[in-house]
Amino acid sequence: MDYTIGNIAPIILLPFAAFVINAFIVKKVPKFAVGLGCITMFASFCYACRVFKDFVFVTYSADYYVHKVFTWFDLGLINGKPFNVDMGIYLDNMSAVLLLMVTGCALIIHIFSTFYMEHDARFGSFFVYLSLFTAAMIGLVLSENLLSVFVFWELMGFCSYSLIGFYYEKEGAGNASMKAFMTTRVGDVFFLVGILAIWSTIGSTSFVDIYAAIASGAFNDLTVVGIPLVTFSAISIFLGTIGKSAQFPLQVWLPDAMWGPTPCSALIHAATMVAAGVYLSLRMYPLMEAGGITTVIAYIGGITAFGAATIALIQTDIKAVLAYSTISQLGYMVLGIGVGAYNAAFMHLITHAVFKACLFLSAGSVIHSLHDHHTDGHVQEMPRMGGLRKKMPFTFIAMLCCTFAIAGFPFFSGFVSKDRILGDALLQALDHKTMIAPAVLGFIAALLTAFYMFRMMFLTFYGEPRDKELYEHTDVETLSWNRNVPLLILTVFTLGFWYSGSLTGQGLVKFPGVEHKEWFSTLIKKPDVEKFTKYKREAWGSTDSRDQFFEKAHYDANHGMTEAQAHHAHHVHHIGAIMSIIIAFFGFFIAYMMYIKKAWSPGWWSSKLSPWYRALQSKYFFDDLYIKVIIQKGLLGMNNFLAWIDMGIYDRYIVDGTEVINRFAYRVSNWFDNKIVDTVGVDGTGASVRLFNVVLRTIQSGKIQFYFMILVVVLVSYIWTLV
Amino acid sequence: MISLPSFLAISFILFVSGLVVMIAKKNIIAILLGVELILNSAALNFAAYTRFVNQNLDGHIMSLFIIIIAAAEAAVGLAIVIRFFQIRESIHIDDATQLLQ
Repeated sequence: MDYTIGNIAPIILLPFAAFVINAFIVKKVPKFAVGLGCITMFASFCYACRVFKDFVFVTYSADYYVHKVFTWFDLGLINGKPFNVDMGIYLDNMSAVLLLMVTGCALIIHIFSTFYMEHDARFGSFFVYLSLFTAAMIGLVLSENLLSVFVFWELMGFCSYSLIGFYYEKEGAGNASMKAFMTTRVGDVFFLVGILAIWSTIGSTSFVDIYAAIASGAFNDLTVVGIPLVTFSAISIFLGTIGKSAQFPLQVWLPDAMWGPTPCSALIHAATMVAAGVYLSLRMYPLMEAGGITTVIAYIGGITAFGAATIALIQTDIKAVLAYSTISQLGYMVLGIGVGAYNAAFMHLITHAVFKACLFLSAGSVIHSLHDHHTDGHVQEMPRMGGLRKKMPFTFIAMLCCTFAIAGFPFFSGFVSKDRILGDALLQALDHKTMIAPAVLGFIAALLTAFYMFRMMFLTFYGEPRDKELYEHTDVETLSWNRNVPLLILTVFTLGFWYSGSLTGQGLVKFPGVEHKEWFSTLIKKPDVEKFTKYKREAWGSTDSRDQFFEKAHYDANHGMTEAQAHHAHHVHHIGAIMSIIIAFFGFFIAYMMYIKKAWSPGWWSSKLSPWYRALQSKYFFDDLYIKVIIQKGLLGMNNFLAWIDMGIYDRYIVDGTEVINRFAYRVSNWFDNKIVDTVGVDGTGASVRLFNVVLRTIQSGKIQFYFMILVVVLVSYIWTLV
Repeated sequence: MISLPSFLAISFILFVSGLVVMIAKKNIIAILLGVELILNSAALNFAAYTRFVNQNLDGHIMSLFIIIIAAAEAAVGLAIVIRFFQIRESIHIDDATQLLQ
């Protein structure tokens, strides 16, 4: 396949065009806007499938990439280094897989939204935002440099803000959108600082240039405020990830983001936008490694995975459970990055996107059908649900499969990816003492995940209906193309073998007579920075060649380790797999005992651990910390100080001083206007005209004889001069 | 034999007299008479030159034309004067100042 503007640009431009067109027509023809959004999304998905097919079915090489750029603007030479900003595409296996996931999830969520948002007053506007968001996310995936990543990153932040505050007539939604925007902004500022640090060092923000710079040692011996530049920029960029992917300590915004409509939670706050932060860290993995912050990343990931999982234990709102589980799973991905499980972290990103989107959509399906006639609102509280599996069999199946996947049951996708992250964490923990804590946190979080997910399932779908009236008013679910079918499609992809190729997810595919490595770990590898020192840049419009990759890809079964190390790693991975299976079943068992058999009382636990329970109820006091301490103690004082600067200095001296100068200037120009322009210029012109008027009026007397005499005099004098 | 300069002298006197009359007199009819004098001086010049220089009849014919045109011109002029008199009840040239506007 040739990569030209004709078959790459539509992937991003079609949703964007839908956004532009819909923004104008949505008020008049909302139904048409919805259709346009879905159709452009489908076309975009088809184009993405082409790219995916080319990378995974045709080329099938870990080293294949497509990198095409054009200069966006050129700043000339600064200190002898060229400073220009390129735009373009950088596609490798990771982008191709992510592109398919983003467009596929977005398409399915678009279709589901036609069901979920149908009776909403702003049915069309929702799709306008969805189109813009999807275009931005696709742009981020296609981007070849950090600057364009940042542009799309911010665009997504804006869409997230608008969609969280979609029901802006509710006060909470407005506040939540503001909170999400402000909290991610903290990370974004650092991200921008990181970009600038890299840009000012190597004169480019392109991924490949950064890889090449790391390999060639361009970052060596440079420091910023006492820390090595490479560490500084790695930390800054990772702070961007912390903000966007809701990691500790900036996780506070994601639970509040559940104010948005459920499909937007599925798309933005589960499948794509929050994963974009992880994607950025994966792209910048060589930088993180060179900066030596992988341990920090592992700790952040472990703490997030564990902390969010504990908060999810006591949530009663079905969406809140899912929100905290999203934070927890993102923590797993970050933990995976930290322990060097590059491939597994990315795989977890993809599998999580699929099953979490499905979970959110299923939750949306449940919420949509539970309509409280007293308050005329939808019910999200799990204590009012129960026994719904008879009413909603399809949603139940979808949600059950996804719960198996997220809990890490064998044969499901979550097992494949999470197990590898935990396996690598275990491997690291055995080698380094410092890495024991993240691995332990990861394993405990896996137990908690299995528990709270099954708790949610049991509270929602099993047992007796706790709100009889609500249950009776709920209609029995029938199969419909835009309600259950999207869920069931996603459910199919919660099975593990799509990703691993084998049912157990241990990497090797064994058919009788055939034994080969599964595609995910064959294709997606850590970028080898050494290779990028001699890469070639391609201009837009140039023809692709198949020899684009550096060398023929070869599969190294041992990931560059010796035979003994590889054997050890393999062994540890097996232990990790068995442990996570046991843990998953144990979590399931606890939930079963508590909520089905009711043998163990949840209330007993919460009273025994009441201090911790209170901490969980107030989400570990992070909101209090931020609002009462940082904002009210710190920022408010700074705010007052800034206000004083504004009023006391700027207003008083600069603005008022300008006024004095202006008044003086007014006097001068007033004098000039009155005296010079008015008196001399305007009146002077009048006077001179009047003077000539007096002269000329005497000549034009109207007396014929006088004219005649002048004629004679003129003639005579003329003849006189001739003679 | 009267020579050409004598004719030209008479013609010059007539011309100057006409000019002076046109400029000095305030009576419109007198001014018309001054015009006649100038025309006559021109006619005399034609006749004199054709008599002494060309020695054919061209100048005479031109003189006759001038006399005819002078007659027509006098008729038109007098008509204007009569009309002027009817309006202004005066034939004073200084009353004819409408060209001023």
